[in-house]
Amino acid sequence: MSRRVRRKVAKKGKEKIVLQGYPDVEDDVLDLERQEDVYWTSLPDDTVLQLFSCLNYRDRASLSSTCKTWRHLGISPCLWYSLDLRAHKCDAVMAASLALRCVNLQKLRFRGAESADAIIHLQARNLREISGDYCRKITDATLSVIVARHEALESLQLGPDFCERISSDAIKAIAFCCSKLKKLRLSGIRDVHGDAINALAKHCPNLTDIGFIDCLNVDEMALGNVVSVRFLSVAGTSNMKWGVVSHLWHKLPNLTGLDVSRTDIGPTAVSRLLSSSQSLKVLCALNCPVLEEDANLSANKNKGKLLLALFTEIFKGIASLFVDTTNKGKNVFLDWRNSKNKDKNLDEIMNWLEWILSHTLLRIAESNQHGLDNFWLKQGAALLLSLMQSSQEDVQERAATGLATFVVIDDENASIDSKRAEAVMNDGGICLLLDLAKSWREGLQSEAAKAIANLSVNAEVAKAVAEEGGINILAGLARSMNRLVAEEAAGGLWNLSVGEEHKGAIAEAGGVKALVDLIFKWSTGGEGVLERAAGALANLAADDKCSTEVAVAGGVHALVMLARNCKFDGVQEQAARALANLAAHGDSNNNNAAVGQEAGALEALVQLTRSPNEGVRQEAAGALWNLSFDDRNREAIAAAGGVEALVTLAQSCSNASSGLQERAAGALWGLSVSEANSVAIGREGGVAPLIALARSESEDVHETAAGALWNLAFNPGNALRIVEEGGVPALVHLCSSSQSKMARFMAALALAYMFDGRMDEYALVGTSSESTSKSVSLDGARRMALKHIEAFVLTFSDPHAFAAAAASSAPAALSQVTEGARIQEAGHLRCSGAEIGRFVAMLRNPSSILKACAAFALLQFTIPGGRHAMHHASLMQNAGAARVLRAAAAAATAPLEAKIFARIVLRNLEHHHMEPSL
Amino acid sequence: MALELKSSDNKIFEVEELVAVQSETIKSLVEDGCADNVIPLPNVDSKTLELVLDWCKNHVDMKLDEEKLKEYEDKFIEVDQAVLYDLLLAANYLNIKDLLNRACQKVADMLKGKTPEQIRETLNIVNDFSPEEEEEIRKENLWAFEE
Repeated sequence: MSRRVRRKVAKKGKEKIVLQGYPDVEDDVLDLERQEDVYWTSLPDDTVLQLFSCLNYRDRASLSSTCKTWRHLGISPCLWYSLDLRAHKCDAVMAASLALRCVNLQKLRFRGAESADAIIHLQARNLREISGDYCRKITDATLSVIVARHEALESLQLGPDFCERISSDAIKAIAFCCSKLKKLRLSGIRDVHGDAINALAKHCPNLTDIGFIDCLNVDEMALGNVVSVRFLSVAGTSNMKWGVVSHLWHKLPNLTGLDVSRTDIGPTAVSRLLSSSQSLKVLCALNCPVLEEDANLSANKNKGKLLLALFTEIFKGIASLFVDTTNKGKNVFLDWRNSKNKDKNLDEIMNWLEWILSHTLLRIAESNQHGLDNFWLKQGAALLLSLMQSSQEDVQERAATGLATFVVIDDENASIDSKRAEAVMNDGGICLLLDLAKSWREGLQSEAAKAIANLSVNAEVAKAVAEEGGINILAGLARSMNRLVAEEAAGGLWNLSVGEEHKGAIAEAGGVKALVDLIFKWSTGGEGVLERAAGALANLAADDKCSTEVAVAGGVHALVMLARNCKFDGVQEQAARALANLAAHGDSNNNNAAVGQEAGALEALVQLTRSPNEGVRQEAAGALWNLSFDDRNREAIAAAGGVEALVTLAQSCSNASSGLQERAAGALWGLSVSEANSVAIGREGGVAPLIALARSESEDVHETAAGALWNLAFNPGNALRIVEEGGVPALVHLCSSSQSKMARFMAALALAYMFDGRMDEYALVGTSSESTSKSVSLDGARRMALKHIEAFVLTFSDPHAFAAAAASSAPAALSQVTEGARIQEAGHLRCSGAEIGRFVAMLRNPSSILKACAAFALLQFTIPGGRHAMHHASLMQNAGAARVLRAAAAAATAPLEAKIFARIVLRNLEHHHMEPSL
Repeated sequence: MALELKSSDNKIFEVEELVAVQSETIKSLVEDGCADNVIPLPNVDSKTLELVLDWCKNHVDMKLDEEKLKEYEDKFIEVDQAVLYDLLLAANYLNIKDLLNRACQKVADMLKGKTPEQIRETLNIVNDFSPEEEEEIRKENLWAFEE
């Protein structure tokens, strides 16, 4: 159920942000000045008890452990009236340790079969209410023992997941043991036999509320015998004989509310029940397809009885239950809760309605049916919001879960319905959810956080969440010791961190530290929380400032740990993505180097490029690409087998997403910066897949592949391979027709390297018998390449500007040429000394086309303001380039472009020379 | 109608009845007809009483504007521990539910997620348990810390 948007960030660092000091975010800075004078332990007992009741069980336990006075208060019966064990591991020993405190326990909530087995060890003989979920494994034996030990039981609820192993035998046991039973709601029982129901009718005279929900078979005839029943739900139960129901149940003398939602009941049975029952007040039949086909049942024909269905006006209908019929609209629940004149019968109806509505709405939301848009927008969303304010905690929880669920329309793509999300927001849902999230109850916290997370996929909602203080609340919940709470809160931070606008606020709220701590806390066995935390950190790391914070909080170590040890695809993918983003700020912090220095980091990422999961492979390759910008990392990646792994990846990604293709090519590009790696890539068979990627339609992919081929081409062996593998036509095609100037530029540079004569000797030295034919084809290729390089350079040479520049040496004329020739992104390229040396040498090449090309390239690398222009200028100075440039600028034979470009480069060098830092 | 309240340090505060009866304690005194003279509040000093009355006044004035009220409350409760403690005592004694709730919540927020030792440091509490008792308490509370 991971519902979130996965965001990839740009791989190439684009801009620079000046780093500022960031204040430490510490939450426990307290005023210490007067602390000495305050004697907290002498607070009145009732105030301390109230303080306890604001805290969850862990915090209560900690508070009880501070001193004798508070330990004593911590066991006060009023704090042990109800107990929710769902978030806690509860075995027999634990339960026994609670026994002394549970003497007066009235209400218990638990989760799962193990806790069910432990309940009797609480020795809470006075228990009135038990409610359990995750009940699939609870057996008849366990349930029979529970009811035998708790004869005072008045309410028993098991669900909403199916009680697969509970049979009618256990229901009989309930009937025999719990004669005070008032409420019994069980979900997903296979067969509820007549004898079990008859036993309930016989032994439980107070049984007024029955739910056999989502069962397979229920003996409807026997249910007609339970004369005490006032509220009955068979929602979602199949195989109901509606003929029997309509003939028998209207005779139930006390039946007030009946819920047949999500069944195949039809109009005949509904009409009959409504017309013939004396006592019935409300019939709830939401999402009953047969009934909805024939929606002519109008509410006013029903002798004052209320029918609730998807096609009725539910709020209005419920309002009609009240004597005071002023139009309450959507406030009907709120008005009822606030009303001072309590009507016991009405209260019972309303409480029951809240419960069954929340249950049915959640089920409808889960089933993700089509055709319900209108219902959700007009009534459903508002109903869920009303129910979220219920005084029944389980109703609140289910309503929040319902909100989290109904907005998601496609689980796979993590897409949500904007209209539904905005409907929730416009009805004040964000505030309500944030209020729930502030509760001490962890069940409410996690469900509210989940709803906030899913709704925040919508940017408008995310903004509202941030404005209402939601980021602080989520960051707080992310520190929870409860895994579910922390997981949903991390999911919320993940979704809020997608856009640029909330990253700073998340960091300010201490979110970065909280997320990193989550990874350490759940490093073993918590893939849901780990994936969300890593995903959020990945988004945050895309921001310069936050990325520094991630590192300061120990994020590098945490994420590398995940990349190394975690076995789950989703976690690996997000960890790799986070490391990629951390390493994307090479100019402004040293995270890149820091990742490389973390033991086993590079090895782990290399290993992840072999993952069976495409997302993992993609992010790992992306991380290696970014990391290879650091010289030491680059060589360490190669030493860790990165060349072989990435060549294999490039070879196998012909059908993969363009994201993976781009990163595979990019990582090879990064590695190929050093000569040894270039040679190794060629040797391992990297040329052919890169040529294939250079043929890709996707600009990002072919641009990156062209970059890699350019880096490979300086090596004569590689150059020859490129020719042999059919790379020349591919590069020529890029050079002349890519939409990306960068791709054209780098393809031209690759071709220029290949055909500046370096291959000639190498090809002749080759011992192959085909050498003659090869050199012939080489000549043809060379002619084609040079023709296209020339054409490429000419596209940047406006004849008028050139004429003006040739005629005058005024700076303005040269500037105009520069502007026309400038390729913006080329300013991001950083060349080594050897690279610059090659272009300087190329200025002396006999080919005037290559001369012009070399001058054009050097111009791009030295334009003032370019990121690495100063670096390149100083490299050129070391290489003695000025003399060569002056010669080129003055040469009588050189073409005009070469001369003008050379003059501009000279001027660029002078510009940089004057910079004081040089 | 105005009532006169006297703080423990004998300062007299004149307050609207509507404001003063936010305190259930004062309200029952009024209802019992004991409010004709000055009402002595021997457990509340003038500094605290002034704060408490400000709270009550704002809750009468801003009763309808929830947002403003929330803003006010958030700002009001940003006080140091000693003031918070006095407010808790006063709210308890005067029986002003919303103030008591807010102040309790504030203390709870200070303690959330802390270990017993951190709580002791925060609230300046002396550990008065013997090692045996500590072990007993650890066992007693183990359940709450297990997932």
